[in-house]
Amino acid sequence: MGIHSVVNACTHLQNATRARLGLTSVPNTKYNLLLMTAMQKAGLIASVTRGGPLPPAPNDASEPVTSANVATRRLWLGLKYWNNEPVLRTVKPVSKPSRLVTVDLKTLGRVTRGFPVGSLKGLNLGETMFLTTDRGVMESREALKRKIGGLVLCRVQ
Amino acid sequence: MSVARPAARRLLSGRLPGGPRAAPTTAAATAAPCHQVLGHQFHSSPQLAARRRPRFANVRAADMGLMDEKQIDEFTAEKFTRYTKEEMEQLGKRYSPQQIAAIEAGEAAIDPRDLTVQGRLRVDPYALPYIDDFAESQPVIDKRTRHEPPPDPMARFMNVDEFTQDLIKWADQFPTGDVTGTLKTLVDFVPDEHKKTPEAHWPGAVRTEAHAAFESYLKSEINRQAEGPDAEGGPTDADVLQYILERSGMTDNNQVANSSLALALPARVPGVAGLYKNAIDPADNGLDDTGIYQDLKRRTGMSVQEILSLQTKRLVLRHVSNQTRLGKIRKAAVIYCAGNGNGWLGIGEAKSTESMVASVKARLTAIRNMRPIRRYEERTIFGTVEGKVSGTVVKMSARPPGFGLRVSHRIFEMCRAAGIYDLAATIPRSRNPSNSVKAAYEALCNQPDPEEIAKGRGMKLVDVRKVYYGGATH
Repeated sequence: MGIHSVVNACTHLQNATRARLGLTSVPNTKYNLLLMTAMQKAGLIASVTRGGPLPPAPNDASEPVTSANVATRRLWLGLKYWNNEPVLRTVKPVSKPSRLVTVDLKTLGRVTRGFPVGSLKGLNLGETMFLTTDRGVMESREALKRKIGGLVLCRVQ
Repeated sequence: MSVARPAARRLLSGRLPGGPRAAPTTAAATAAPCHQVLGHQFHSSPQLAARRRPRFANVRAADMGLMDEKQIDEFTAEKFTRYTKEEMEQLGKRYSPQQIAAIEAGEAAIDPRDLTVQGRLRVDPYALPYIDDFAESQPVIDKRTRHEPPPDPMARFMNVDEFTQDLIKWADQFPTGDVTGTLKTLVDFVPDEHKKTPEAHWPGAVRTEAHAAFESYLKSEINRQAEGPDAEGGPTDADVLQYILERSGMTDNNQVANSSLALALPARVPGVAGLYKNAIDPADNGLDDTGIYQDLKRRTGMSVQEILSLQTKRLVLRHVSNQTRLGKIRKAAVIYCAGNGNGWLGIGEAKSTESMVASVKARLTAIRNMRPIRRYEERTIFGTVEGKVSGTVVKMSARPPGFGLRVSHRIFEMCRAAGIYDLAATIPRSRNPSNSVKAAYEALCNQPDPEEIAKGRGMKLVDVRKVYYGGATH
């Protein structure tokens, strides 16, 4: 499963939040969906809705995905703002298709506690990292709680 | 055995100790003459053959004729003359009889011959040009002589009655005379028929004559007043001016002072106490007599005592100049930081042609700009922050208790003023002094608030350091 769509989605998300958009969309891929739902769970994104090329109506029940419309599906994301500032300030992809960055449990523990390991800088105040593991995409703190390492997707501040 | 001990010497000299001095043989006398002189030696140094004599003979003063009684008398008569009768008369004018008696007693007590024989007259280049018997004063060396007695410490301002008496006393010294200030004018010197008309309508001859007469009158009046009050005249204008300017207004009998400066006013002038409008706020307890903190006090609401207790420090001083067509205009640019040591910090920047003025302005601005700085556990900052001004970047990181301030000296002073005790800071790029101060202030002011971040993400935040160990974490 390539991560190029995730890298593109991260960059797009940062651009959208800096442009103070309320709603934006990323391509509907499995990896994007996993990451966005993890972000929503972490409280960084208000909503994740699968829709068509146009933003879905507020109370619209999502259209079922069929083989006819799957190519035009997109994930519509509601962005959050608090005190006139975006909740999602920077989204920086860590792994890229040409270089995948994985962390083991020991490294993850050190990085999550704020200490740098290799090329990975320690997490700062209010910063979090999203990993993809064999149990799905999750925050670094949750992965540490479950004692699993994985592939670092992005770090969010 | 090079040192001759008594026992060995006895052996060497071949004599018995303490024996009667028999007549030595000629051989013994030539071989050891010294041993005959000293019988018992207690020190180890070898004995001298004879008494040490100087290599160069001294010459006694008497041999040179210096101690000749005649020469002594001549020198004494020349250098230490007694006061002549005329000089004593002159002294008598200056000093009281008791002082004269003291001077005479002093003169009698010292024999001039002793001064010649025992005294030392300096002849070096730095000797004073006179023997100081205080008969004359040297303006360069001596203090200024004070001819007048010291001012009366009990003198006070005259009241109305005393002032009237004083005025009458002053006026009595002038026998009679008209009131001053009645100088004639030009009109008084023209005939009566022209007195009503303005000067422009006078005939030419009359006008010339009147001007000449008026001029000669003024000259004579000036001369008269310059000579002083005459028998028939009253006080002149000069007298009145002198009365106004020089007459003492106090009950010191118009005493002349040694100083040309006026006496200082007493602490409380009776009659006018409390009438002066005092610009100084009595609430300051005399801490701000120059009034530089009054504006700050009004703006900040702090008292002068509180303002003075703030920690301030000059961080940057640099000299800048503006090149104009008239030349360079140099100024001093100063940056100050101010803080209360408990979470408040401000920086102020000011420029002036005088560096002292710039410092005062910058310090007041810094105090005015003080604002709260977020502190974690009242000792360090929150997380890692970065401030950037121009090419200067300051990176700051929170550190555990006891870490200390591992920062550059200007940031150290800022931290001390703000009450931050654990901090690490690096300036990876340009280290421009003023920009690094501004960037550090920006970084300290832009710390993230964990509570706000948690609220934005819809989470609840608990600092476990404040939970464990009853919150006693440092």
